[in-house]
Amino acid sequence: MSEVKKTIVVTRFDPDKDEVPKTQSYEIPVQDDWKVLEALNYIKDNVDPTLSHRWSCRMAVCGSCGMNVNGEPKLTCKDPISSYGDTIEVAPLANFPVVRDLVVELEGFMDKFKAVKPWIIAAKERAAEEGTHRQSPDELADFKSFSMCINCMLCYSACPVVSNEPDFLGPAALALGHRYNQDSRDEGADERNEIFRDEGGIFSCSYANECTEVCPKGVNPSGAIQQAKLNNVVDWAKSFVVPRRKSS
Amino acid sequence: MLKLEPVIWGLFSGGMMIGGILLPVYILVVALGGGFGVVDGQALGYDRVFALATNPIGSLVLVAAAALPLWGGAHHLRHLWIDFGGLKSDGLVGGLFYGAALVGSVYAVLAVLRLHG
Amino acid sequence: MTHAVPRVDAMKPSKPGPTRTAPPRPPDKFPGGGRYPAYLAFGACGAFLMISASLLTRGIWALGNGEAAWDAYRAGLGHPAYLVYHVAAFLGLTWFVLRLFRLFPATQPYRIGPLKRPPDAVLVAGLYGLFFTVLAVGTLFLGGAML
Repeated sequence: MSEVKKTIVVTRFDPDKDEVPKTQSYEIPVQDDWKVLEALNYIKDNVDPTLSHRWSCRMAVCGSCGMNVNGEPKLTCKDPISSYGDTIEVAPLANFPVVRDLVVELEGFMDKFKAVKPWIIAAKERAAEEGTHRQSPDELADFKSFSMCINCMLCYSACPVVSNEPDFLGPAALALGHRYNQDSRDEGADERNEIFRDEGGIFSCSYANECTEVCPKGVNPSGAIQQAKLNNVVDWAKSFVVPRRKSS
Repeated sequence: MLKLEPVIWGLFSGGMMIGGILLPVYILVVALGGGFGVVDGQALGYDRVFALATNPIGSLVLVAAAALPLWGGAHHLRHLWIDFGGLKSDGLVGGLFYGAALVGSVYAVLAVLRLHG
Repeated sequence: MTHAVPRVDAMKPSKPGPTRTAPPRPPDKFPGGGRYPAYLAFGACGAFLMISASLLTRGIWALGNGEAAWDAYRAGLGHPAYLVYHVAAFLGLTWFVLRLFRLFPATQPYRIGPLKRPPDAVLVAGLYGLFFTVLAVGTLFLGGAML
């Protein structure tokens, strides 16, 4: 295993001392099979224990270690260090308030996430004797890719609409809402579509497609949002023929 | 504007498709072919073009190509405005773009109807 | 080193957290880097859509005013400014629609009505085929080389 030196330029921000974030450079030995996260862990463990960053699973499942690496939102545990040159810039996700160093404020995301009612809404509870829900492979495929989201928020960091519209629910939340609308067990589409059509909903999306480009799990949020738009156009047209059900 | 978003988006996506497919033909033949004098003068002469434009299919194609792309363009330009930080004036700017698309669409329909008058 | 401070009002929690936070910055590569220029240029092609549709309407209106008006409209299109605009519009709209068609398959659901969505390459090839067929047939027909 060859060992080379690379300079990691990390954004630092201490809310007790710093007016605004600044950067700090660390020249460290790296191994070419490392991911970017391992370089950050090396700094924390061996050079500067004050560095703060989030991580957990190290295998692109937990969604904790999203950061902007050379300006591009990445899961740092999935991002090979060998794909970069001698200097690598690591910054907290864009479009998020920064709590400290590479750690961003998640609560705004959680608010948006809850707003789309990401759970199965059924008009009435299914009795136990009716047995389990049956769902065909095709019915599963209608939403499966949209259910693979790990809430890493890379999509929010890349989206120009998130920057400009504070109320925009954003790619992951809207894709998740669409995921439930597409689920054959769900009956909440009317409720969610009212949220989708409201301020900051699907029609705020201008299809920059950045969310889909940066998604590490192939969720395709922009595709979900365009599908939701078309569904809402059809729904709107239908409302002239059949009055829309009022949701409580 | 919110209540109208589904219909505007419907017109917008139709406008992108129709405009992207039909306008290049018009631009290539009438604007560039005619403008550079490459296309035979008779082909774009009044009699032939009038006959084509008043044919029912021709009239439909003209209305689609002259009206729908306005919505495609208006919606794109509105979002471009927002992308560069124009959300605060979205009501005014978006209203102007969609207003222009609406006026232009009415004008396009009238222009075609007038040929049949 | 201190960051330049472009800041945006994004992803704010409904209740402020226990510590002070630094304001969000916009995406690092916006607008000039990465894939953003293509996206923004795509949006800017909306201007070609609006202007060209309006010029077409002007032509239809002239057609309704009679032969002299139609001939004047056509002669006007020979002005260098119009020619430059139309070369740009033709290239711009062709790029615009081909990008639209490349992005299109990813926006389609797994099933379209009762049918499964065809492979992306098939959809893109079909849409490209449609565009170039309409362009070729339309040009030959309108240009008087057909029928």
